[in-house]
Amino acid sequence: MKKLNIVLALVFGALVSLSAQAVDQRDYHKDVIGKDCKACHDQGLKQFPSDEACLQCHDVDDLAKQTARSEEDKWQNPHNNLHYGKELPCQECHAEHKAKKPMCNNCHTFKFDKHQE
Amino acid sequence: MSEKNLLGRRNFIKGFGAAAGVALAAPAMAVSEKADGVKWDKEVEVMIIGSGFAGLAAAIESVRQGAKDVHMFEKMSYFGGNSAINGGLYAAPGTPMQKTEGVKDSVDRMVADQVKAGRGVADEALLRHVAEHAVEGLQLTLDAGSEYHPYLQQLGGHSVARTYQTTVSCGAGITQPLYKECKRLGVKAHNRSKFEGFLVGKNGEIEGVKMRQNYHFGEDQPGEVLNIRAKRGVIMATGGFGQNVDLRMAQDPTLTAEVGCTNAPGATGEGMYEMFRLGAIPVHLAHIQSGPWASPDEGGFGYVSNYTIFNFPHSMAVHRLTGKRFMNEIADRKTRADAELSCRDEKGEAMPPLLITSYKHSKKHPNTKKVLKYDVGWKFDSVEALAKHFDVPLKPLKEQIAEYNSYVKSGDDKQFGKNMTKAKGKYIEAPFTVVRLWPKVHYCQGGVQINVKAEVKDSFTGKSIPKLYAAGEVTGGVHGVSRLGSCSIPECIVMGMTAARSVMKA
Repeated sequence: MKKLNIVLALVFGALVSLSAQAVDQRDYHKDVIGKDCKACHDQGLKQFPSDEACLQCHDVDDLAKQTARSEEDKWQNPHNNLHYGKELPCQECHAEHKAKKPMCNNCHTFKFDKHQE
Repeated sequence: MSEKNLLGRRNFIKGFGAAAGVALAAPAMAVSEKADGVKWDKEVEVMIIGSGFAGLAAAIESVRQGAKDVHMFEKMSYFGGNSAINGGLYAAPGTPMQKTEGVKDSVDRMVADQVKAGRGVADEALLRHVAEHAVEGLQLTLDAGSEYHPYLQQLGGHSVARTYQTTVSCGAGITQPLYKECKRLGVKAHNRSKFEGFLVGKNGEIEGVKMRQNYHFGEDQPGEVLNIRAKRGVIMATGGFGQNVDLRMAQDPTLTAEVGCTNAPGATGEGMYEMFRLGAIPVHLAHIQSGPWASPDEGGFGYVSNYTIFNFPHSMAVHRLTGKRFMNEIADRKTRADAELSCRDEKGEAMPPLLITSYKHSKKHPNTKKVLKYDVGWKFDSVEALAKHFDVPLKPLKEQIAEYNSYVKSGDDKQFGKNMTKAKGKYIEAPFTVVRLWPKVHYCQGGVQINVKAEVKDSFTGKSIPKLYAAGEVTGGVHGVSRLGSCSIPECIVMGMTAARSVMKA
């Protein structure tokens, strides 16, 4: 029985560990959303959220103003950029459950000091 | 072989593919199917797959031709494909700016330049069709709000200056206005929608397609697959396959994953594969072009590409080991790319050559400031400083600069036969701006065979596949061995418009 208890403890421990890994969450979202997965997952938990999910709380026009750059570099604004304007979905550069880098850096050497990977 | 049993030839096409070593690890390859008994989830009038220049032009022109329900499907989350990140360079003969600048040009002359670059195997009928409608296509972009620099450029392989460039020096200067025009006209644009195969009717006509929803490129795909019927037809505008390492290596084993690519990540060629399954004819797949203007110091197309394209006419490229020129800086792309790739050290290691320009002339292009700011270009006040920085032998370099300047003066390049018209009066003198050059995979001349109506030819019947059209880089044979710079945008726009006219007339 003791041996069985140890095995069960290991199994549950592993499950908790896996579970924690699967729902690793950004601190700033944890603070606001807590454990309400559906706040973002508008298409069920087995799929990525829609591109509109982020926009329930974040406004792209506001973001574009916050990340505006000087006239010379104005099109390097990640939220209002040369190639896609304000229409690049948030999920291209931001991910909740894993690290992600700015898409711009596939081709450019711009600096995005405030980007949280 | 029965004409009616199109998909019965699947194994033949698979065999062809297998012989070429083509394989996609993941996601699973899409499969075209017969449409018998299909339950349709949705119906559209005109269906366009892909949202680059060709798709955008096709959408606008479809509406202009009377279509009421046009839908554009894009597998990526953003619209524009390679078109949104390219150089925004549009060549056309007989343009308003050519008239203003007194440049004598013609359809015949433009076609002749392209046939020459194509090494005799370009499709002259298609080149002529595009050249004849290029001004019309340019007007479409102007109508939508695109803006161009107030000067023409003469790109490699062109015999005269005929190239417009957007004021932002990027294709986005065209894709953004065209995309906004599409929305204004009521075109429905769907992102994250992955084309997963055709649904074929009993007469071999395209009835519709399978389309996966909520597609996330490179991730697991639990999204639902819808069967969408296309009443008038499907226009394939899915672009090239520069990012498909397996396929490009099957054509040219040197194009490994280590070779840089200017393309957007989605340029993998599945749309082309599906057309091959149907029986479309593959043309010129092995002619994969590298951009000789690319830089090893930044990813993709970056900023150096446009800087270099602008400056090649009045610059000289030198081998770092010798300090000497090694090519005509405005020859066509293949000639230059091959010449650059041959720049090696004693051990055969790559030694990216230098492009040396007088700052006096390079500063006229907006990208010069950017390449210097982002450390992908350099500025030097003396030839000594330049030679020291890049470890180039000083004496031979000085001699080469003097020699090149004598050609600027005489108008006759005795070394490589460069056309010195655009270099007139532009001596190479301090201060200099310099970039390193190294070719990157840029454009696939190969694709499916089409005619001047953008109809896709069936290899077995020799006739067009009903209700299927293709435009842009997904098509093959147009440019032959080497595509001239600034000739892709006019092709995409004109053939996109052509496909729209064909689908609306059918």
